[in-house]
Amino acid sequence: MYDWLVEIHTASPHLIKALLTGLLVTTVCSVIGCFIVLKRTSFLADALAHSMLAGVVVGYLVMKLTFGQEAHAPAMLIGSIISGIITVAMIGFVSRMSRVKEDAVIGIMYTGIFAFGGVLVSLFSQYVHIDLLHFIVGQLLGVSDADLWMMAIVSVVVLSFIVLMFRSLQLITFDRVMAASLGMNVLVLDYMLTTCTAMVVVTGVQVVGVIQVVGLLIAPAATAYLLCDRLKNLLWVSALFGWTGFLIGYYLSETLNVAPGAMIVVTLTAQFLLVFLVAPRYGLLADFQRRMRAVPQQFVEDILGVILRADQERCGIEDLIRHTDYKAERIRKAVHSMVKQEWLVYVGDVISFTEEGRKHARRLLRAHRLWETYLQHLGVADEELHQRAHVLEHLHDEQAVDYLDDKLGHPLTDPHGAEIPEDFEHLVPGEVMTLAILRDGHRGEIVKVGSLIVESISPGDRVAVGVREDDSQTWVVTVTNAAGKESKYRFNHQEADAISIRLD
Amino acid sequence: MDSEQPAIDVKNLTVSYGPVPALLDISLKIDAGQLVGIIGPNGSGKSTLIKSLLGFVKADFGEVQLFGEDVEKAKGRVAYVPQRGSVDWDFPITVREVALMGRYGKQPWWSEMSAEDHDIADYALEQVRMADLRDRQIGQLSGGQQQRVFMARAIAQGGDILLLDEPFAGVDAATERAILDVLESTREAGRTLVVVHHDLATAAEYFDALVLLKQRLFAYGAPEHVLHPELLSEVYEGKLRIFANLQSGQAAGGGV
Ligand SMILES: Nc1ncnc2c1ncn2[C@@H]1O[C@H](COP(=O)(O)OP(=O)(O)OP(=O)(O)O)[C@@H](O)[C@H]1O
Ligand SMILES: [Mg+2]
Repeated sequence: MYDWLVEIHTASPHLIKALLTGLLVTTVCSVIGCFIVLKRTSFLADALAHSMLAGVVVGYLVMKLTFGQEAHAPAMLIGSIISGIITVAMIGFVSRMSRVKEDAVIGIMYTGIFAFGGVLVSLFSQYVHIDLLHFIVGQLLGVSDADLWMMAIVSVVVLSFIVLMFRSLQLITFDRVMAASLGMNVLVLDYMLTTCTAMVVVTGVQVVGVIQVVGLLIAPAATAYLLCDRLKNLLWVSALFGWTGFLIGYYLSETLNVAPGAMIVVTLTAQFLLVFLVAPRYGLLADFQRRMRAVPQQFVEDILGVILRADQERCGIEDLIRHTDYKAERIRKAVHSMVKQEWLVYVGDVISFTEEGRKHARRLLRAHRLWETYLQHLGVADEELHQRAHVLEHLHDEQAVDYLDDKLGHPLTDPHGAEIPEDFEHLVPGEVMTLAILRDGHRGEIVKVGSLIVESISPGDRVAVGVREDDSQTWVVTVTNAAGKESKYRFNHQEADAISIRLD
Repeated sequence: MDSEQPAIDVKNLTVSYGPVPALLDISLKIDAGQLVGIIGPNGSGKSTLIKSLLGFVKADFGEVQLFGEDVEKAKGRVAYVPQRGSVDWDFPITVREVALMGRYGKQPWWSEMSAEDHDIADYALEQVRMADLRDRQIGQLSGGQQQRVFMARAIAQGGDILLLDEPFAGVDAATERAILDVLESTREAGRTLVVVHHDLATAAEYFDALVLLKQRLFAYGAPEHVLHPELLSEVYEGKLRIFANLQSGQAAGGGV
């Protein structure tokens, strides 16, 4: 391709102009396209492109009839920008004022204005020499010097607008309400952006024609959107995709001898599909991979559960196969990867936990038994408890489990009478926690006593937690104060929550 | 000068999007330093009232004054946290950039954000414990984390009035507590807070005063007056589950 670039450079200034035009136009189109993608106004951009025809014809006619000038580029540019803005304003007005939805209004307005342009061309066919075919498929190879100048000016204006007003544009696309509350004139900025879009569309039409110009605007931006997590990056990555799409498309059109406009848009779309397939986060393959990986999560947790419930927390592969619904092959694979992850160890044929693995398993068991207790609380039938908790236990994010535990009054056993593992995440010696999560045998020092407590205990006193009473609803503690006096107190859940203790 | 003026003064406000007004003849005054909750069923105009206070939607009739000044002129004095559903979570923007938006009003459009602005934004993120995730795209956060990012933006903005549209929707107990702490400290700093809230069970506990809204202003005042069963059943039209919970004094988890 490099050779090819050198070759046209030496061979044909005509092609260089096309190249220059293309790069210039794709840059602005791709950059402005980012805002179109983010604001979801592709259809509006399409409308702008079509409505241009009327503006071009009127601009042409005015110059021709008043000054006798043929195909005056600036007049046609201004004409198309004006017709674009009129179209957008009419769409906005009608969709606000009538119950007809915006997409329908866009459809009505732009076809109407486009057709009006067509009628003008036929009516004044003796004055107007506009090649409709070029208008529709583009004329990259027939760009005049005046056109090129116009494109350069448009590019400079639009790009400096975007760079200068970057923050404002970011804010009105992301959060219009905040933009308005900061005193930005959202409507004026919107119209400025629309005007820029109209100017850019005019240049884009020269390259790929009215029908395909939306592709030139949207495809690079959408491609970059699959890769970028910041607006600034989105803008330049989009421009980059515009260039590669243009260069490859143009090259192919030369070698295959087909219309460049069409080939460029085909390339842009192919480029999008390729990135859609392979993008690291938002791509199809990445999504597929995530799904593949996501299934074993539940599966891993089920295996941990079986081992934890087994005698002495040890079991063989056969036990796992017997106690889960999964195929032997998948279980072997999962165990293998869990050994690698250092959750499980093999001792001969017997599988048991590592420290990390046991912790994870206990976290799950705790979630499972709390969920069972909670479901019973809600009135779920006893025979369904296990199955439903089995599904819900995978929701074991720490805050959710703590919430359940607190709501249930920190129960000690589940509905089947099995012990719920204690809150070992918080029960770290030396840390401060509420009395409510402590159990029989815990000792510590009182750090804070809430105003709720009427008993005479104070920070610094020593506490030993005893067996809970009243169906585990009453916390029983033995407190030793500074004078060495020992007394026994009983607290309910709320009171227990109000006492903070540093665990020994 | 500000102390005698109410922070928010809404007079006969009427706003409509289509033929039916979303808000009809609303008048209310909120004093500086108050923490006020807005309650009302879906579509009752709560968000619309918030947007009027921000000067985003235009009134058909009536006016909104902030500290005795027309809302149009009080730009930048009001910070807000949008309703979750109204944010484009796929927008290419990171946590840090959102927080920095709080400072956008402080610099004219032609100049760069200063180092101080960046520091303030970072500090706000620390306050809501989101500093570790500052380079994440906002869609890759949990619901509670997303809520906290926008809290950070509001904190960074400062402002005398803070408007929050359902900050407690879909957050867990810990985040709810954290948000509440921020609200408390914001009020202690003398700011005025208006919070759209859905959970009637906690409304009385959280707010100094409540606004009950359904197109019209049904009640405004101390929570015990507003949370009157008869009034509520008129406004909520027999969504009985809520009242059952409210009357037996239980926490209604999840709200409506
Ligand atoms: N941009 C809009 N265009 C047209 N109608 C709107 C618009 N925004 C809101 N509405 C209408 O105005 C009314 C009030 O809406 P609003 O969003 O203020 O309700 P809300 O109380 O915030 O509801 P929710 O609890 O669901 O958030 C609704 O009937 C809604 O359909
Ligand atoms: Mg709302």
